[in-house]
Amino acid sequence: MDVGIISIVLVVSLLFLLAIGMPLGLASAVLAALVMIMKFEPTLLTDPMSFGTGILTSNPGTGPLYLLTQKIFDLMTEYVLISVPLFIFMAALLERSGIAKQMYDSLDFWLSRVRGGVAIVTSIMAVLMAAMSGIIGGEVVLLGLIALPQMLRLGYNQNLAIGTICASGSLGTMIPPSIVLIIYGLITETSIKALFTGAFIPGFMLASFIIIYIVARTQLDPSQAPLPEPKPDDPQGGEKWLMFAGFVSVVAGASSVILVARVALLTALGRNDPGVDNFEPPFLGMIGDLPILFGIIAASAAVIFLFAGRERTAVGWQRGKGLVPPLAVIGIVLGSIYGGVTGITEAAGMGALAVFCIALFRGEASVDLLWVSMMRTLRSTGTIIWVTIGAAALAGAYTLAGGPTYIAQLIIGAEMPTMLVILTMMLILLFMGAFMDWVGIVLLIIPVFLPIVQRLPIEEIGLIGQLSPHHVAIWFGVLFCMNMQVSFLSPPFGPAAFYLKSVAPPHISLTDIFRGFLPFIGVQLLALSVLLLWPSIVTLLL
Amino acid sequence: MAKQVSGGLREWVIPFAFAFCAGWVIWHGPAYILDFFPHENPSMTAQITELHERKDVSPNMSGLFGGVMDILDWAALLLLPVIGFFGIRSVVHAQMEYPNPPRVDLFALFIGRVAMILIISMTLIMLYEVFLRYVIEAPTLWANELTLWIAGYVFLLSGFYAMQQRCHIRIFIIYDLLPKFGRRICDTISVVLLCLFAFFLVFGSYNQVFGIKFHRWEMFGTAFDPPIPATIQPMILIVVCLVALQAVVNLIADWNKEPVEHDEGDLIDEEELEAIKKSVGAD
Repeated sequence: MDVGIISIVLVVSLLFLLAIGMPLGLASAVLAALVMIMKFEPTLLTDPMSFGTGILTSNPGTGPLYLLTQKIFDLMTEYVLISVPLFIFMAALLERSGIAKQMYDSLDFWLSRVRGGVAIVTSIMAVLMAAMSGIIGGEVVLLGLIALPQMLRLGYNQNLAIGTICASGSLGTMIPPSIVLIIYGLITETSIKALFTGAFIPGFMLASFIIIYIVARTQLDPSQAPLPEPKPDDPQGGEKWLMFAGFVSVVAGASSVILVARVALLTALGRNDPGVDNFEPPFLGMIGDLPILFGIIAASAAVIFLFAGRERTAVGWQRGKGLVPPLAVIGIVLGSIYGGVTGITEAAGMGALAVFCIALFRGEASVDLLWVSMMRTLRSTGTIIWVTIGAAALAGAYTLAGGPTYIAQLIIGAEMPTMLVILTMMLILLFMGAFMDWVGIVLLIIPVFLPIVQRLPIEEIGLIGQLSPHHVAIWFGVLFCMNMQVSFLSPPFGPAAFYLKSVAPPHISLTDIFRGFLPFIGVQLLALSVLLLWPSIVTLLL
Repeated sequence: MAKQVSGGLREWVIPFAFAFCAGWVIWHGPAYILDFFPHENPSMTAQITELHERKDVSPNMSGLFGGVMDILDWAALLLLPVIGFFGIRSVVHAQMEYPNPPRVDLFALFIGRVAMILIISMTLIMLYEVFLRYVIEAPTLWANELTLWIAGYVFLLSGFYAMQQRCHIRIFIIYDLLPKFGRRICDTISVVLLCLFAFFLVFGSYNQVFGIKFHRWEMFGTAFDPPIPATIQPMILIVVCLVALQAVVNLIADWNKEPVEHDEGDLIDEEELEAIKKSVGAD
């Protein structure tokens, strides 16, 4: 059968199967078999009695259909895929520990006298949580439970409060480590580490846009974010800065001491000896780095003893220590990935271990916590991985039928201007995002879109800066991630809204929640257009 | 009797014992192949025998009944259904799980428990390897591949469990608008198509998978050389069939169930919410 007809039948049947409520992964698997039949033995569809005569069915037990098993098997033996259950495991443990609440209290202490402080605290906390794991959902729920009551109690504008929580809570998939980027990298065979690196600046850009928006909105209309009554024992402006300086010095000094110990260990083991083959210097792990580390320690000590004073530092530490566990987890996860220590999978495992140890330390760990977290991991793994399985089979079958090439020819043959093609794709992604889960989109649409983007004339992509050809896949991945940020908030099915609804006070309706999102969707679209106009922002750190 | 809570000691120990026994049987696969499905071709027999001798964990025990399988192999094989039986009986329904499972579903729930044990084992093995490799600098040859191997089972079995739990991603926009009769038709179409897919997948690859990969005990071709193709590929076919069967069971169990509105509030369940509320100290 002609690949054009196959494509049309495929799209129509996919829409049909999804409409009747068939699970996405299984529907894709069924369609994979359908594509194979259309490609190799179309008579089977018109005349089922001919079973056993064609290329596909005359040879039981082997033949082209084995390709589907093979595709599923290839996916099952992807080492990076293991990081998905591990990150879920880590997030499940994190949700059930009091780490988040303590982090909020610490941040709130420093920013309580700032206009819009609780909203800013919410955003910063979301960024920190995003850098620990890469799962949204739990994050929105946590922020909704901790920050929403505070903001409403202080008389914050309700829309501002709602939008801040959900827009920031969705950052989990934008800031590395991100499960969306892991699946994207697997499907498109792009380096996941490079994707993470590329997503850093855009992720923080989006986060800072959100914070700038909050600051601007509350400064222009202070009634939207009333300041809390000052507490009698609250330190005054300059005093607090000194305390903060003391706290930062303690953290910086302590981290440097740990790094010095690491250098000593590496030296003792002879592992920072440049004489070895394929030597990659460990980051801040060489003897040559010691002056920097000792410099930091000396500077911290100077700040603590001469500038802030020991008492202020002690108070600052008391108030700020809630930030230490999250920072430690981030250090372990991202440090493992970027410090050249381990791969992403191991980093996820280390993160899970770190969160468990912190929970143990705080007396919250129990056998029951483990059991429930394992069960949650199993459920989420089943849903995510099986969509991946179905889509891998479908993508394999469709590629064999010549689908992606056909569609790429179609689009390129239409002679649309490059940016118009990309804008059309963005619209399709945004539209799909409003109805479908991100897993489905990355698995069903990206394998078709990416080859097209890679064939577009590269000098016409963007207005500022030039993207190099081997960065296109990375740029498009980050762009896709940004699109998904919008999809978490877009009505009618933006998941963030439903997560928040489950913990919001009853008088806040879904409509109220979606109304609160509008300006934040605008902020996200702004960040998206920055990525479109200036693609090489992704490669700044690469 | 007090209401039992999921996650008790039995629910840890029995799935672990099951996983351990299954692991033994799988690792000693060549012995079972030699005894139960002998090759006609002598050179293949020699190859598998060599494999068996290389991988045997208990090399000094002699085979029983004139075969290759030693007493431990027989014990593991015979214990497997016994442990499975007790395991199914030991399952305690957890609060976050799909309510009121029919008795058949206990099998899927037990397999879910086994997969949970595999998740924690896989994590621990991986962390052990990280410790050895980066702290002591004495990496093992086996840990990474063992993790990969176990993960394959976790990925496959999790789909079976998710099917029983009805938590595969679906889109309910149109489905929810239909009357009960329409929903039944939709569900039936889905299940029939899924069964057809399972049939075509098995029909198109059983010989490759069972005849070649499994029977010749194809290895991964690395230093530790786990039989990943020989075991994961048959597992794919088995699990896809189990998922299809479970879909039929679900269809029957849900046939007379009253329609429920699906909103995406289902994303988060009550128990999860309680746990999170407790962790942040909210009331």
